[in-house]
Amino acid sequence: MSQKLNRFPWVRLLLVVLFTVIAVFPFVWMLSNSFMSEKSIFSDPPKFIPDLLFRRGMFDNYRQVIGIYNFGHYILNSVLVVVFAAVGQLLVCSISGFAFAKMRFRGRNLLFSLLVLTFMVPVQVVIIPEYYLMMRLNWLDTYLPLIVPSFLAGAFGTFMLKEFYEQVPEALFDAGIIDGVNSLQMYATIYVPQSIAPIATLFIIAFMNNWNDLLRPMLYISKTELYTVTLGLTMFQGQYTSQWNLLLAASVLAVLPLIVVFIFCQRYIIENSMSSGIKG
Amino acid sequence: MKKRMALVLAALMAAGMVFAQGSKESGASTPAKSTGPVTLEWWTWDPTMKDQNVQVIAQYEKDHPNVKINNTIIDTKEYWTKIRIQAQQRKLPDVFTMSSGYLEEWAQNGLMYNLDSLIERDKTDEVFYKSMMDSTKSIAKADHVYALPFALVTTVLYYNKDAFDAAGLAYPNEDWDWNDFRDAAKKLTIDKNGDGVIDQWGFWVYGRYAQIESWVYANGGNLLNAAKDQFAPDQAALDALNFLYSLVATDKSAPPQKEMSAFRNEDIFTQGKAAMWVDGSWYVDNMRKKLGNDGFKWGITRVPFGPSGKAARVTYGWPDSYCMAPNTQHVEEAWDFMKYVAGEGIDISQYMAGKIPSNIALSKQIVDPNLQPGTDMELLSTEAGEPLKTSYTKGWNEWRGYRSNEAMGLNGYIDSAMNGERTMDEAVKAATGDINAVLKRYYK
Amino acid sequence: MASKSLAWHKPWTPWLFLLPTLVGLFVFRLYPIITACVLSFTDWDLLGDPHFIGLENYFEAFHDPDTWLVIGNTFKFSFFYVIGGMLFGLILACLINVKIRGINFFRAAIYMPVVTSSVAVGIVWLWLLGPNYGLLAIICRHLGIRNMPNWLGDRHIVLYTVAFVQVWKMSGYYMILFLAGLQNISHELLEAATIDGATRPQRFFHVTLPLLAPTTFFVLTVAIIDSFKNFELILAMTKGGPMNASNTLVYDVYLNGFLYYRVGFAEAIAFILLVIVAFFTIANFFIKKKWAHPWD
Repeated sequence: MSQKLNRFPWVRLLLVVLFTVIAVFPFVWMLSNSFMSEKSIFSDPPKFIPDLLFRRGMFDNYRQVIGIYNFGHYILNSVLVVVFAAVGQLLVCSISGFAFAKMRFRGRNLLFSLLVLTFMVPVQVVIIPEYYLMMRLNWLDTYLPLIVPSFLAGAFGTFMLKEFYEQVPEALFDAGIIDGVNSLQMYATIYVPQSIAPIATLFIIAFMNNWNDLLRPMLYISKTELYTVTLGLTMFQGQYTSQWNLLLAASVLAVLPLIVVFIFCQRYIIENSMSSGIKG
Repeated sequence: MKKRMALVLAALMAAGMVFAQGSKESGASTPAKSTGPVTLEWWTWDPTMKDQNVQVIAQYEKDHPNVKINNTIIDTKEYWTKIRIQAQQRKLPDVFTMSSGYLEEWAQNGLMYNLDSLIERDKTDEVFYKSMMDSTKSIAKADHVYALPFALVTTVLYYNKDAFDAAGLAYPNEDWDWNDFRDAAKKLTIDKNGDGVIDQWGFWVYGRYAQIESWVYANGGNLLNAAKDQFAPDQAALDALNFLYSLVATDKSAPPQKEMSAFRNEDIFTQGKAAMWVDGSWYVDNMRKKLGNDGFKWGITRVPFGPSGKAARVTYGWPDSYCMAPNTQHVEEAWDFMKYVAGEGIDISQYMAGKIPSNIALSKQIVDPNLQPGTDMELLSTEAGEPLKTSYTKGWNEWRGYRSNEAMGLNGYIDSAMNGERTMDEAVKAATGDINAVLKRYYK
Repeated sequence: MASKSLAWHKPWTPWLFLLPTLVGLFVFRLYPIITACVLSFTDWDLLGDPHFIGLENYFEAFHDPDTWLVIGNTFKFSFFYVIGGMLFGLILACLINVKIRGINFFRAAIYMPVVTSSVAVGIVWLWLLGPNYGLLAIICRHLGIRNMPNWLGDRHIVLYTVAFVQVWKMSGYYMILFLAGLQNISHELLEAATIDGATRPQRFFHVTLPLLAPTTFFVLTVAIIDSFKNFELILAMTKGGPMNASNTLVYDVYLNGFLYYRVGFAEAIAFILLVIVAFFTIANFFIKKKWAHPWD
C-alpha cells in the first residue's frame, strides 16, 4: 500500500471540508427545520436553530409523521419494492452487460443501441402509454409496475457494467479459457469478482433511482396501505399550502436509508480495490 | 419495404385500440335503488384532508349500514391526470371532487351527471347557496347543474394591523377607493435601517390570477369577451392593470416580482415584508397556523372597488364541487352521500379556514372570534351571496399561467411589466395575440 | 479477439443471458416508446379518442418561436451541465479517493446533494441567491457590492443559475461513477511514475487521465443523457420563468402533457428532444471509437 496515498495533506483536507460545507447546507437546513414548529419555518431572517431543540416536544414532528401518518410503514413498503427492483437490476444487468461486452452474436450492436435509446427517454414521455399498458395487464394497485420494468430493463446498469467488463484485463479472460471454464463460470468466477466496485456503484444508483421515483407510484398506487415513501410525502401537501414541519421531518426520514446504503456500499467501491491484487 | 409498412400500420392500429375510449354506456341498468350492500368510489384531491375524510366515512357508514365508501385521495397535481384517464375509460368514480377550471370541458364531454331533477326533487337549493350552483352553470356555459358545490373561495385584501398602527393609519375598509389604497401603500413602504433596501413594502402583487383579477372585477372590468372565448380586456380592466402597474413603476410602494424571489408568495405578507396583500381567502388557514395569536395582528377586508366598479359589487370567486359519474350504477346512494359530504353531514371543522361552506347553515359558523382575523371573517359569507366572476375557459391553465407554468402565460406578461421590461399596455398587447392563439385552438 | 470470442461459448448462450433484458426492453420500454411516437401524430387530449392529424403537431412546434427558444435553452443548459458536472465529479472523486480515518463522513457529506429532495434544494438556493433579502445579497451588501446580478430574475442569467444548481446537486453522482473507474488504475503504475520523478500534476495528466478514458466516455454519455432530465429542479426553482427563459424541452413536455393535457403535442416535442439526445449520444460513441483505445 502506497504511503503517498495515505497522506492527507492540508490542501486536500481544506478542499474536502470546503466542498462538504457547500454540499450539506440544504440538508442541514432541512434537518434543523424538521425540529421546528410550523410557526417558525420560513421566518425572516431564516432560523437555523430550531425552536423545539432540547425542549418539550422536540420530536413532535417525527412523532406525528411516524405515529399518525404511519410513515414507518411506507418506508418498509419502499424498502420492499426497492430491494426487489435494485437487486433484480444487479442480477439482470450484470449478466446482460457481460453478454454485450464479451460475446459476439448477430444484432448485438442494434440491441445495445436500442437499450441505450430507452435510457435516453425521459419518463414524462413514456408514462402515459406505460400507464395504459399496466392497466391492460391489470397491474394497477400492485407493486409490479414499480418492480418488473426496472428489474428487467435496467438500461443504465447494463450499459455501465458492459463498459467495466470491457476494462477487465484480457489476461484474466485468457486464463479462464486455458482453465476451460464454461460461459457461466467465466461470468461468475472471473468477471463478477473483478467488478465489485461498479456493481456496488450500480446498487447505490439503482437504489436511489427507485427510491426517489415519484411519478410511477403516484399513478400506479392508490391504496394508502401500499404507499411508498415518495407517495407518503405527498400527504403533507395540500391544495394550497403544505404542512412544512411534517414534510421536512418526513423528508429527512426518507433520505436516511439512501445515506445508509451509500455509506455501506462505498466501502466496496474503494476498499475492495485497495486490498486486491491484480489490477490493470 | 412492404413488411415495414405493415408493421407501422399494425403499430398504429394497436395504439388506437389501446387508447380507445371506454364504452359510453356500461350496461343499460336502470338507476333504481339497489337492495344489496353498495360500495361507492369517492375520489378527492387534498391529501391533508385524509383524517377528516376518514371521520366522515365512519359516521356515514354507521348511519347507512348498506353503503360502503371507498375513498381515494390523490395529490392535487396528479389528480387530474389520473381522473382524466378514468373518464376516458368511462370508469369515473361514483363521486369525485371537481374544480371550476375544468367544468366547461367536462360538461361538453358529458362526463358529469345532470343533477337538475335531483335538486328539484329534494329542494337542495334551499339548503345550499343557489348562487353557487348558478355559478357552476355559468362557468360550465351549461343550462344544467352538473356539480354540487361544497365550498366557495374568494379573494380578499389582507392587511397588517401592527404596520398600520405604527404608521398611524386607519385600517382599510369597504369604502376605500384606489386613492386611499395608494396613499396607504406609499406610507407603509419603509426602509427601517436606512441601508437602501426596503424592509417593509406597502403592497405585494404579481401576475398571479388571484392577485390581478380581483382588482379587475372590483373595477367592473372583464378580461374576456362576452362569449368568454377570446381575450379582450376592456377599458375598466386595463385601468385596473395600469393602477397596479403604477404602484410598482411610479410609486415604488410595491416591489417588482423579480426582486422577491428569495420568498415564496405566501410568505411575503406573513413575514412582514409587505403590509398589504390581495390573494385567495384560503390563505387564512396558512396565516392562522403561521402567526397564531402571538404574531402580528392582521385583518381582512374587501378588495377596494375601482371608480367604475362600485355599483356592480362583483367579486372574484368560484366554487369547488362534487360531481357524480354519468354512468354510476348507484344514483340514489351517490347523491345522498354527495349532499352529506358537501355539507349536510359535516361540521365546520372539516373545512380549511378561508373556504366558505356552500351549505347555508354551515357558512354562518365560519366566524371564530378567538382566532384572527375575528369578525372580519363575516366578509366571506357576505361575498358568497353576491355576484361572482371568473375567467375560466377551456385551456385556462395554459393561457393564464397556473401552478407549474406560473411564470408564463398572462402571469409572465404582467410580470414583465412589473419587472420594468415594458409598460403594462405593451405587455397586454403582446399577451392578447398570444392568448388568443391558444384560445383559438380550444374554440375552433 | 473476435475469433477467440467465437469459440468459447455456444451460439445460443448470449441469448440466454440476455433473455430477461430482451423481454423488459421490448415489452416495457420499446412498446411505450413506439406508442408514444404514434401518439405524436394525434390530437389526443386524454379525454376522448385520439385522432390522427398527420404532422400537424410537428408543424405547430416548429412554427412557434417559443419552441426554438426552448430548444436553444436545452442546448445551453446541457452544455453547461455536462462540463460542470464532469469537472466537479472528477475533482471530487480524486479528492476523496484516499483511505483515511473519517473519510467516510466526508464522502457521505459530499454525496448528500444527490439525495436531498429537489424541493428542499430549490427553497434553500432561492433564499441564498435572492436579491436584497437573500444571504448572498446580504453578504455582498456588507462587502460594499450593490449591483449583484439578479440570478433568477434576469432572463439572460436564470438558465445558467439553474444549471449551476443542478451541477452542484449532481456532481456527487458523477463522483461515484469516476470513483469506480479510478479503482481500475493500478497503484504500481502511479508509484513507478513517482519513482521516475513525475510530479503530482504530471502523474495525473499522463497516467491517471489516459487510463481513465473509458470511464470518462461512459460518464460523458451518462451526463449528456442526464442533462436533459432537469424537470424537478426547474419546477422547484423557476417554473420555466421568467416567461420561457429557463424553460427546457423536458419541462415543456411536462407542461403540455400534464398541465394542458395536449398529449399528442407533448409527444411531438418529446420526439424532437429524443432526436437531439440521440444525435449527441451517437456522436459521442463515434468519438469514443476513434479516440479511446487505452487497452488495445
